[in-house]
Amino acid sequence: MTDYGHELLFGSFVTPTARPPLQAVELAVAAEETGLDLVTFQDHPYQPSFHDTWTLMSFVAARTSRIRISANVLNLPLRRPSVIARAAASLDRLSGGRVELGIGAGGFWDAIEAMGGRRLTPGQSIRALDEAVTIMRELWAADERGGVRVDGEFYQVHGAKRGPAPAHPIGVWIGAYKPRLLRLTGRIGDGWLPSLPYLPDGPASLAEMNKHIDEGAAAAGRKPAAIRRFLNIGGQFGSGAGLLAGPPQQWAEELTDLALNYGTSGFILMTDDPAAMEVFAQEVAPRVRELVAAEREG
Amino acid sequence: MNYAHRLEFGVAVPGDLEDPQAGPALARLAEELGYDLVSVSGAPGHADAWTLLSWIAATTSRIRLVAGGLSLAERDPAMLARAAASLDHLSGGRVELGLAGGDEPDRVAEAIDVVHALWNAGERGLARYDGTFYRLAGARKAAPAHEIPVTVRGSGADLLRVIGAKADGWSGTDGHLAASRIIDDAARAAGRAPREIRRVLEVDDGSTDLLPLIGTHGVGTIVLRTTDREALTRFAREVAPALRAAVDATVPHGSSGLPVRKAAALARRRNGIDYDAVPASLAEVIEPGDLAYYRFRSGYLRGGAPGIVLRAATPAQVADALAFARRHPGLPLSIRSAGHGISGRSTNDGGIVLDVSLLDGIEVVDEAHRRVRIGPGARWMDVAAALAPYGWALSSGDYGGVGVGGLATAGGIGFLGRAHGLTIDHLREVEIVLADGSLARAGDTENPDLFWAVRGAGANFGIVTSFEFEADEVGPVGFAQLISDASDPAGFLERWGRIVESSPRDLTSFLVLGPPRRGQPWVARTLSVVDSAEPETVLARLQPIADIAPLYGQQAQILPYAAVMANASADEHRARGEPISRSGLLDHITPEFAAAAARVLGSGGIFFFEIRSVGGAIADVSPCATAYAHRSANFQVVAMGTDDQVVDALWAQLTPFFDGLYLSFESSLRPGRIADAFPPRTLARLRDLKAKYDPDNVFRDNFNIRPGERTT
Repeated sequence: MTDYGHELLFGSFVTPTARPPLQAVELAVAAEETGLDLVTFQDHPYQPSFHDTWTLMSFVAARTSRIRISANVLNLPLRRPSVIARAAASLDRLSGGRVELGIGAGGFWDAIEAMGGRRLTPGQSIRALDEAVTIMRELWAADERGGVRVDGEFYQVHGAKRGPAPAHPIGVWIGAYKPRLLRLTGRIGDGWLPSLPYLPDGPASLAEMNKHIDEGAAAAGRKPAAIRRFLNIGGQFGSGAGLLAGPPQQWAEELTDLALNYGTSGFILMTDDPAAMEVFAQEVAPRVRELVAAEREG
Repeated sequence: MNYAHRLEFGVAVPGDLEDPQAGPALARLAEELGYDLVSVSGAPGHADAWTLLSWIAATTSRIRLVAGGLSLAERDPAMLARAAASLDHLSGGRVELGLAGGDEPDRVAEAIDVVHALWNAGERGLARYDGTFYRLAGARKAAPAHEIPVTVRGSGADLLRVIGAKADGWSGTDGHLAASRIIDDAARAAGRAPREIRRVLEVDDGSTDLLPLIGTHGVGTIVLRTTDREALTRFAREVAPALRAAVDATVPHGSSGLPVRKAAALARRRNGIDYDAVPASLAEVIEPGDLAYYRFRSGYLRGGAPGIVLRAATPAQVADALAFARRHPGLPLSIRSAGHGISGRSTNDGGIVLDVSLLDGIEVVDEAHRRVRIGPGARWMDVAAALAPYGWALSSGDYGGVGVGGLATAGGIGFLGRAHGLTIDHLREVEIVLADGSLARAGDTENPDLFWAVRGAGANFGIVTSFEFEADEVGPVGFAQLISDASDPAGFLERWGRIVESSPRDLTSFLVLGPPRRGQPWVARTLSVVDSAEPETVLARLQPIADIAPLYGQQAQILPYAAVMANASADEHRARGEPISRSGLLDHITPEFAAAAARVLGSGGIFFFEIRSVGGAIADVSPCATAYAHRSANFQVVAMGTDDQVVDALWAQLTPFFDGLYLSFESSLRPGRIADAFPPRTLARLRDLKAKYDPDNVFRDNFNIRPGERTT
């Protein structure tokens, strides 16, 4: 049993569709209105049928007031760490501290290269992510003395002025599946942001993957609970017997299991259906909170 | 030097984050005061310019949004292109890009090329660029909502030459006269007109003597770098109007200037069109050189290259556009609502397209009588969604992206056809712009002859700008997609036909049968709608169809009709070439017809074969009641192929079985098609009415009925 004791969060993963232009914004507003904690968007700059994710997030932030906003996850290879840091801090200040940083090492290298990005091997992409996060945290530490100096293999910063500082400690949530990146997540991440459909053995994979994260954390002298475990999930509200195929009550039990057995404390529903968001937020989420609280107390 | 630019004023919004909302508040003030634009630049320790600009975009509605002085040392032009296109769409077309020139003019030149390459969706294919600083190796393009100007800030002769050759503006704090000479020479050397490049002046406040800078130094945009609300208010209310008045008095073309048309765009104009005389009233005019052209040149199934697209948002604009078209009698004239026309072309080569997609209102005008008024540019899925809360529906076709204008003047064979009739059977009144530009109303009591003709041959009589329908009450419906084994295609056709024809009229079914790929079995796909929310009824209607043959797949649900119609993609039409489509109306699927159809399908010359059930409520209406006369049919057959001759030869094997055709699905231009669409008495009456309402045959794009000699 692995329960890291985190407060539970429920969010949505909305397609950043470019047509009609405001559809994703409207869905984010709907997510906020129905009481979800978080709205997230994937980041594939090479996909013209999607909006630019950072632009969309900024627009959404201005049109909402309570919901937290993150990419799921930012495409590091096509973005620059110094700009990400500044943009995230700016948006966090503008939005009253609602920005989180879902980020990934990148994966579709042909598409990345087509847009002029640098092709990296998986190993390189992990080292690049490590450097990028270091740079971002240095830049956010506006109160520290001196400029930021990083002479990395992939990124070099020559005495950049620190700041702006974010309004709250922005969580760096890493999308990861393989051991090396999972260990990096444990070493430096504030959260882990995988998708259930990509887990090789479904939820059962979480045990092994959590272990890698926990090992990485230990190696850096961090507690496993320092890394929040999220999960992007998809399914239907229906009458099926399988995972996330039944009625809301069944979903609640299944997600409670994940929370208590694997320590998942953030459930992000992949949907563009406002009705599904509403059921998730108003029936599933409260029930999961209830069940988990009961188990934690008892 | 003066470039006859419209005089514009903007405010530079600082990004200091001590009070994060100060910037957005200043932008809103600027908008309220009537400034044309706000400019957001980054500075060390300040907010990220793009993030702040995006926030401001979301919290304003009209003011233009300039990302000023973006540094290419920090930002990649490909990502800038993407971000700008997105924000432009999100903000309703208000974005402008400003680059800091830095000290690498060649980098700036390449960056502009990269940005343009990624926005150039009008040119097919992936974006490729092989520069010293930047590369694109087959990146997919995404166009902004409008042509985003790219302005460069900086100095130095090399940079100014790059600006003259490639940019849309230069921004500086002084030296405009000298800079302009270099820019202008470079512009001309690149085949551009100097006035394609706007000259922007940034000033700390309004105290500089601005008039000479505007009048002789070529400045067209003035950006104030002050956050003092009083100063900004005073400038907007006193200084700017005084300046405009002074410019009006002393500068050719005054403060409103002349529109700028790029040389490259002018070069793409087509012969024979009086572009400079286009009515000023039109909502939008699109020429071949404009960014929006690629979105309007093609239909859903048809490529085109019109000489001009006139977008009308009101009946008066439709009349103005029509008058313009009438001054070009030799050019093709196509009317376009959502571009799905097969018989009505929706586009042409070198001619005029009159686009009514902005006339897309859907308004309930009399709830007690279920009357709803709809514009020709509305799409049927939006109509279904608008009527759903009332518990109403209007049968249309099978695809939610189709526009109202064409379908509702031709027939409308849809998923509720047998239960509720053709779309035109629900039409009660229209407002229509006639050939002479007048706006007429037609209904049962007013111009009833015109109303008769509009329902079935409307494209010949004018441009309907408003349709008033009487909707029916329709609850949730059963909707099933079945994929059946059709290894005996003739047998399948026959059995399906018999079942559907004898079924109660709450069932409407469409059948798609295609020749199989090599090694694959024949399959038949049926889409059936049962106008009932009772599971037993739905099952009773669908089970016989499901039982015809073993099923490869099935999906059946009870859901709102609006959900059935919510099936259109939001993608723009990018079709090329011409659809080849034939239609026939069939009384019964006899064994002989079924066998002939199976043979025709087996030959390989037809890639799409669809049969829609009609009859039921459609047959309740008298053949004389509207211009759609073939009421006794039980089926409408459509075939599509890629070669006119091959398709005609195959179709000839089926035509003996048909009695009439439904014009909307017939792309052929053979003269005999008119007689196939309209039986003799209907056609005679139509010719009479054509002579009355369109004697000069202005509306000739869709099943053109030649005006008869007036008999009275």
